[in-house]
Amino acid sequence: MWPELISFATLNALFMVTNEVYSTEYDVIIIGGGATGAGTARDCALRGLKVLLVERNDYSTGATGRNHGLMHSGARYAVTDGESASECISENMILRRIARHCVEETDGLFITLPEDDLGYQRTFVEACQRAGIRADVIDPAEARVLEPAVNPELTGAVRIPDASIDPFRLTVANLLDARLHGAETLNYHEVEGMIINQNRVEGVKLLNKRNGEHVEVRGHVVVNACGIWGQRIAEMAGVKISMFPARGALLIFGHRVNNMVINRCRKPANADILVPDDTVCVIGTTSDRIPIETVDDMRVTREEVDVLLREGVKIAPSLATTRIIRAYAGVRPLVASDDDPSGRSISRGIVCLDHAQRDGLEGLITITGGKMMTYRLMGEIATNAVCAKLGNTAPCVTATQPLPGSEEDAPSQSDMTKRYSFGQRAAIGRHGSLAARIEKDNDIDNALVCECEGVTVGEIKYAVNQLHVHNLVNLRRRTRVGMGTCQGKLCSCRAASLLGELNHDVRGAQEDLAAFLDERWKGMRPVAWGDTLREAQLTAAIYEGLCGLDMAVDRTGKEDVQ
Amino acid sequence: MRMDTVIMGGGLSGLVCGIALAKRGQRVAIVTTGQSTLLFNGGSMELLGCVDGKAVTSPVDAVAALPEEHPYRKIGAERIADLAGQAKSLLSDAGIQMEGTATANHWRVTPMGVAKPAWLTLKSHLRIDDLDKLPCKRLALMCVKGFFDEPNGMLANGLREMGFDVEMIEFTTDDITALRRSPSEMRASSLAKHLLSNSSLQRVADEINRHAGNADVVLLPNVLADEDSYETLQSMVNKPLRQVATLPPAVAGNRMQSLLRHYFQMLGGTYLMGDTAVGGTLDGARLVSITTAKLGDMPLKADEFVLATGSFISRGLVADYERVYEPILDLDVDADADREQWTRFGILEPQAYSRYGVKTDGDLRCIKQGKTIHNLRAIGSVLSGHDAIKMGDGTGVSLLTALAATQSILEK
Amino acid sequence: MADKMQLCNISANNFEQCTKCSICTTVCPVAAVTTDYPGPKQAGPDGERYRLKDPAYYDKMLKLCLNCKRCEVACPSGVHIADIIQRARMKAGEGKRASLRDTMLANTDLLGTVANLVAPVANAALGLKPTKLVMDSVMAIDKHRTFPAYSRTKFETWFKRHAADSQEAYPHHVSYFHGCYVNYNFPKLGQDLVKLMNAVGYGVHLLDKEQCCGVALIANGLYKQAKRQGNVNATSIRHAVKDERHTVLTTSSSCTFNLRDEYPAVLGIDTSDVRDSIMLATRFLYRLVEDGDIKLIFKQDYKHRVAYHTACHMQRMGWHLYSIEMLRMIPGLDLVVLDQECCGISGTYGFKKENYERSQAIGSTLFKQIEQARVEVVATDCETCKWQIEMSTGVPVENPVSILADALDVEATRKANGVKD
Repeated sequence: MWPELISFATLNALFMVTNEVYSTEYDVIIIGGGATGAGTARDCALRGLKVLLVERNDYSTGATGRNHGLMHSGARYAVTDGESASECISENMILRRIARHCVEETDGLFITLPEDDLGYQRTFVEACQRAGIRADVIDPAEARVLEPAVNPELTGAVRIPDASIDPFRLTVANLLDARLHGAETLNYHEVEGMIINQNRVEGVKLLNKRNGEHVEVRGHVVVNACGIWGQRIAEMAGVKISMFPARGALLIFGHRVNNMVINRCRKPANADILVPDDTVCVIGTTSDRIPIETVDDMRVTREEVDVLLREGVKIAPSLATTRIIRAYAGVRPLVASDDDPSGRSISRGIVCLDHAQRDGLEGLITITGGKMMTYRLMGEIATNAVCAKLGNTAPCVTATQPLPGSEEDAPSQSDMTKRYSFGQRAAIGRHGSLAARIEKDNDIDNALVCECEGVTVGEIKYAVNQLHVHNLVNLRRRTRVGMGTCQGKLCSCRAASLLGELNHDVRGAQEDLAAFLDERWKGMRPVAWGDTLREAQLTAAIYEGLCGLDMAVDRTGKEDVQ
Repeated sequence: MRMDTVIMGGGLSGLVCGIALAKRGQRVAIVTTGQSTLLFNGGSMELLGCVDGKAVTSPVDAVAALPEEHPYRKIGAERIADLAGQAKSLLSDAGIQMEGTATANHWRVTPMGVAKPAWLTLKSHLRIDDLDKLPCKRLALMCVKGFFDEPNGMLANGLREMGFDVEMIEFTTDDITALRRSPSEMRASSLAKHLLSNSSLQRVADEINRHAGNADVVLLPNVLADEDSYETLQSMVNKPLRQVATLPPAVAGNRMQSLLRHYFQMLGGTYLMGDTAVGGTLDGARLVSITTAKLGDMPLKADEFVLATGSFISRGLVADYERVYEPILDLDVDADADREQWTRFGILEPQAYSRYGVKTDGDLRCIKQGKTIHNLRAIGSVLSGHDAIKMGDGTGVSLLTALAATQSILEK
Repeated sequence: MADKMQLCNISANNFEQCTKCSICTTVCPVAAVTTDYPGPKQAGPDGERYRLKDPAYYDKMLKLCLNCKRCEVACPSGVHIADIIQRARMKAGEGKRASLRDTMLANTDLLGTVANLVAPVANAALGLKPTKLVMDSVMAIDKHRTFPAYSRTKFETWFKRHAADSQEAYPHHVSYFHGCYVNYNFPKLGQDLVKLMNAVGYGVHLLDKEQCCGVALIANGLYKQAKRQGNVNATSIRHAVKDERHTVLTTSSSCTFNLRDEYPAVLGIDTSDVRDSIMLATRFLYRLVEDGDIKLIFKQDYKHRVAYHTACHMQRMGWHLYSIEMLRMIPGLDLVVLDQECCGISGTYGFKKENYERSQAIGSTLFKQIEQARVEVVATDCETCKWQIEMSTGVPVENPVSILADALDVEATRKANGVKD
């Protein structure tokens, strides 16, 4: 066993803090539980600030949890946006060190197809070199050997240091570290309004969505890290930010067809990246500007599915005959450039607004734009701004200090192979060294609840007790329960029973189960043909026909945002 | 190979049809891809459970009000009572002893503690005739430690809402503890295999007798392999013992499937499990033979054919990116052409695809490109015109259409 | 490309068609008797997704799989579960050496060749208590096992001496893949086949070069050797089918299944061009009878009660109906068809010491059925089932071909088919 970094008791004490205890005053209140908010919370906490993070739903429900899971090398931006590209490669190298258990070092290819201009390859490689991204031109034949799934008709290939990353894990790891350093983090707490006193934001009004309570908390600085929803938060404070929501849809396939990231070597367009993520692979994205009013509607349309498939098979022909298990969509938080009075020009990079300077409103900072990839840097920039206001001079250490689970001496997957069961190994893959905290001393803790993804009773107990799990959707994000090809057909009932038991709320567990199945169905429906439709019919036969769940709960008119 | 009748699909409807024909001296072969959805059956048959969201009290009476395209209307509302009686006695001949009547639904209790209308329920299972007059008050719910395919909390909760006093008793025995060493293989079916010997059952009985002192009736998840194990355990326990369905694979369904199959083979029927019908040869309006994946160039010839291949789950129907079709003969189907129409947004809403199936004429004969195939009948879940999940008529349609088709075949 | 979009789902051994219904786990004979084995669903399609991500997810307990294929037969989704497991074992075993015991058990032909030379000694030695104890402790071959007796004369030798010359005279011709068991242990089955085929006017010929089909090599992880031998067999069979226009008959269900289905699925040897011409003798005969090409006349006084056991690979091939229907043609034969259960031996699996108890536990339901059937003989198309059933129940076991040959009125049949003496 590797050394226990923090004692079990300490960790328990930290995480058993109930959500409903609030301090009255914080140095900084961070709004938004995506990667950026979590990264900012971690950075602030590591610099000794008293931190509160609030999230209206579950952590990583916004753009953080709705992208490719691609750890960009930056190559994709090299031609169009050299600055973003440089940021990406530098963050890429940092994450490989500090977030080992969230990253899989797959490497990537940029391929040229017969319909593409091979001349672009040179432009691309030169741009990569300028940004400091290693880009090796390789022979198409070599590319076919490296990645057998690639379209064999490719005419050119460049190898770059792309990788795959799990944004759910990454966010949780940041939050865990923030909490270990004294931060408080609350999910299901929605900001209803700002407490403003004489051009100064002094705190936020919160709704605890789990019990309906209204609470006011005060902080010296408030950080708006809400991605696309940041425009609304700004409005509450009476300042204006113009966001340009860019919606992107993606498809998840039932298993990995590729083991390297594959990109199209051309100007960014629809469905030109295929990423191997954990046990699946993901093609995306489409890109459509949508009205800000529609950013909460994440339903994927038939047209989006068609485009993704049509373009996706060009990258890897086997996608035409591989089962699709889900479709989902996310919204990129693009921001209007402040220096463009028309508001039409978009800033692609990180945007950090000190509203004192910009709007004459003290105590509010907005951090937005950017990418999941640069969440740490965004956190650093926002924290620098916070510290400047508070007179804190502590240096930023987030680029060097590993996240919990990714410590240097954590065991590697291959060390584990010999000693542990499938479920235990899958858990190590997910939680890194923190998997040591999962109970595995008896047969029941080792029993699998989700067989597709190898999630044990012990892992669920760990997630419920220590990772802020209130419902099955939370549990899925922390553990992958129900993320396999059957999308929770058998495991969700087992998991719901277990949650009901742990939370002493059986009735709630039944409602939760129905909501979870509905959430899974939302992603399956746009691709409900073939085996995915069979899966859905079997799910209906079990939960409605056999169990009568539809008679036990009433879901008419319910649309959960979880 | 020449048969009198060849049946494609070896689930409930295929087997019952095969048994009914073999009983009358026919040479019958059943070709079936694998095990069927009967393995998800928790021990009850439903004739008609729900119409327009309301529970049906008398299936026989409610049939007349069903829309014309419903399979029950095709075989004739007036025949339902008779066919239902035949079905019950055929099941009993096969060794499946069930209780209930087609004129009055009773309630079965689901793993989640919901009371659902049912027509027949296994004698060894919990059955409630009238929710206003519960058969007993105090229940001891025996919860098998480490067994996750029975949501005991939800079950107990539901039973309490019905008005029972429920005491949940967690127990284990050496056999059960040993089985839990497997992280993945502790299912109802594996428990059933480990609770066969008298000594194993005695250990369970000891736990029940030790803890269930107060109860009127003892409830156990359906983990007893067969009638013998049930009788043996009952004889060791000093209170009435009833089982409740678990999540699949279900022991009761598995047992029903193997009893039906055994009975069919005993009657001389040929059961080709693990083989799949892949195509057929038509001669005008007649089907001459079907080819299967394994018999290869030696097709199965017969006078009559029956399609009992089930719905999407069983791949009797296939949906792809473009359309819904019947994969063996590309028969005409009732289904929406537009993919968007197949499904609805909420998972618990009625789904359009549930009603899809092959088109048939009034005698359940299949249709291809608008023309009736005279010696091919469709039975069971492959039929269009009903939603087994929302109406609670899946097993009933399987049994009754199987028997109706049998009569048509024998009358020829 | 686009015109084939999402019309079908192609994945290795159909593993993606799995709907996780778990039906396979209810029929797995191994999971039923040991908690060490993760079960076919976990070992097969579930594990495969993880192994695609990282081969390190391979679970060494997959070696407990019998490769009986019962999971595949039960699967309603057409997933080749056992093939997935075999493939994974093969991949994980690459570069590793098999143990002496496994090599010895797997090389049924090598062991046979040596044993034939010294058959009386070998039989005695393999049956002797001290030898068995040595094998039990040193080789880990279970002491309860009796090795099948080795014949003094190989089938091939008998054939060359006594049968080969007369075969050309028949009007029709077939080739025969006899397999190791017929060659080394039980030439009588081969002789019975020759007798039967000759009686209906078919001359029987051996292949140019026959090697062990490799079913035991695959089961023991000796894939390279299996592939080498498989290629030799494929060439010989191709010659017989393409050049001689022969159908290649077999009398062992496992050899047949291996040649037809495992060669392409596990070893990657493409036999699709000749697959349809490799078949069990019972299927071949059934077709001739059905088409009215031959007549079989059985002895008037033949009277036996026989139970038919469907071997696992027979069930997987779906051909048990031919053997059953052939046996039903014998008027004096009272046939009981047993419910399909695994006997537990699965080739060399049950011979290994570590598997002995599991093997017997797996077979126990079948043995009970056989006891209750009260028959004189059990018929089955698999030689390893024969050993297991004979050892465990004491009831003699015969191949359907031997029963047919035994019941056949040879003279009358030859006459009815116009075969001249």
